[in-house]
Amino acid sequence: MAAQIDINEVHWLLDIVQCIDVGVIVLDRQYQIEVWNSFMENHSGMGPDQVYGQSLFSLFSEIDEPWFRRKVDTVLQLGTRAFSLWEQHPYLVHFKNYQPITGLADYMYQNVTLLPLAGATGSIEHICVVIYDATQAAMHKQQLDALSAAS
Amino acid sequence: MAIGLLVCDDSMMARKQLIRALPPEWPVSISQACHGEEGLQMIRQGLASVVLLDLTMPVMDGFEVLAALRSEGLTPKVIVVSGDVQEEAIRRVTELGALAFIKKPAEPEELRQTLERLGLLNPADSAVASPEPVPSRPAFELKINFRDALREISNVAMGRAAALLAKVLGVFVELPVPAVNIFEVSELHMTLADAQRGERCSALCQGFIGDGIAGEALLLFHDSEISDIAKLFNWQPGNDVETAEMLLDLASILIGACLSGISEQIDVRFSQGHPQLLGLHSSIDSLIHVNQRRWRKTLAVEISYSLEGHNVHFDLLLLFTEDSIQRLSHKINYLLN
Repeated sequence: MAAQIDINEVHWLLDIVQCIDVGVIVLDRQYQIEVWNSFMENHSGMGPDQVYGQSLFSLFSEIDEPWFRRKVDTVLQLGTRAFSLWEQHPYLVHFKNYQPITGLADYMYQNVTLLPLAGATGSIEHICVVIYDATQAAMHKQQLDALSAAS
Repeated sequence: MAIGLLVCDDSMMARKQLIRALPPEWPVSISQACHGEEGLQMIRQGLASVVLLDLTMPVMDGFEVLAALRSEGLTPKVIVVSGDVQEEAIRRVTELGALAFIKKPAEPEELRQTLERLGLLNPADSAVASPEPVPSRPAFELKINFRDALREISNVAMGRAAALLAKVLGVFVELPVPAVNIFEVSELHMTLADAQRGERCSALCQGFIGDGIAGEALLLFHDSEISDIAKLFNWQPGNDVETAEMLLDLASILIGACLSGISEQIDVRFSQGHPQLLGLHSSIDSLIHVNQRRWRKTLAVEISYSLEGHNVHFDLLLLFTEDSIQRLSHKINYLLN
């Protein structure tokens, strides 16, 4: 990416964050939502105005809070990325399968990446949560496991 | 003296939208017809000197009406109002004697300007408040059902997709009236098997979701026609990977244009997942496994495109989940009122 970004480019970059087909959430240190892209909006049915400033845990009671806090704490302290895979934790937030009619899974399996976002002073004030739809991989793996178990 | 105006469209919603878009002071007595043949009979009876004519209709379409008017020497002033926005469609209706073409849904201002340009509406009239109230227009009492409305929205959306396809492939796309049905998911295979007509198929699907409305677009290709499609694309796919790539490109155009046509009309922005190739050269049963456990019913919009002069057909199905129906119907009601 260019070192110098002009205002037009910021416009596109925002558009990309908005339209890209992965979930993008930015949280502050209190787990309050500051950015909520259209993937999150469309799959959760909640618009940015409904979630802005709300705690992630209050909106999604299915999130295993101690588990999530532990991961976020490391990111905040060390400035390293953290990950969650569908094999250990099928999803962060409960969304319906993206292919509701022909898809065999009942919900969206998710891989999650937590990115540290440094402020101007270099300290980490925000966390970006990126949610990937891993349903297809999960289904293939399960089918494969079922086959090898049967043989 | 009121002008005889005929609004000829198979969709009640389209007629309502169109009548509502008419300049309020225009002194017309309105007749309505729900397909070309009915419209033609009304014109023969002398009920209409001005006709607002749809193109995609059952029984007799708009092109056939124009041709019949010409051969019978009838000369009402015809303005075509259609979702079929292919350049070739516009050229053909103009050649058949239509005076103007307005794309659906018709904007009141565009309609007014067209009527003024054709000398059917005197701009001076609009300046003066009309002395007597225009009689209330009948369409306002018409009850529009959900299925009719969704058919019309799909009709406009598929017209846009067809216009893109026509441009990319240099063909004329024949547009049918889309079929809208709510059926048991278990019946989906039956419907698909009908579309397939016993041939081997290739299929792609793509999930979409937005504003509480979710579903999948499913596109079916008949294997016997894939080489014809390749010729149009000017491609010679040497193997299945290249064939799949070609179908993917075609699906992106058709599904993308159709979904954006719908989303513009109902004001929803959809997220679209990655398209998935369900399979090549297979029977429907092995291509599509429906999750019957989860869904009992689905709302299906079925659009069959054919290319004129080529043996090529695509079946595009938009399948909405059962729990999207209420939200969709809410959106449509909002659009109507």
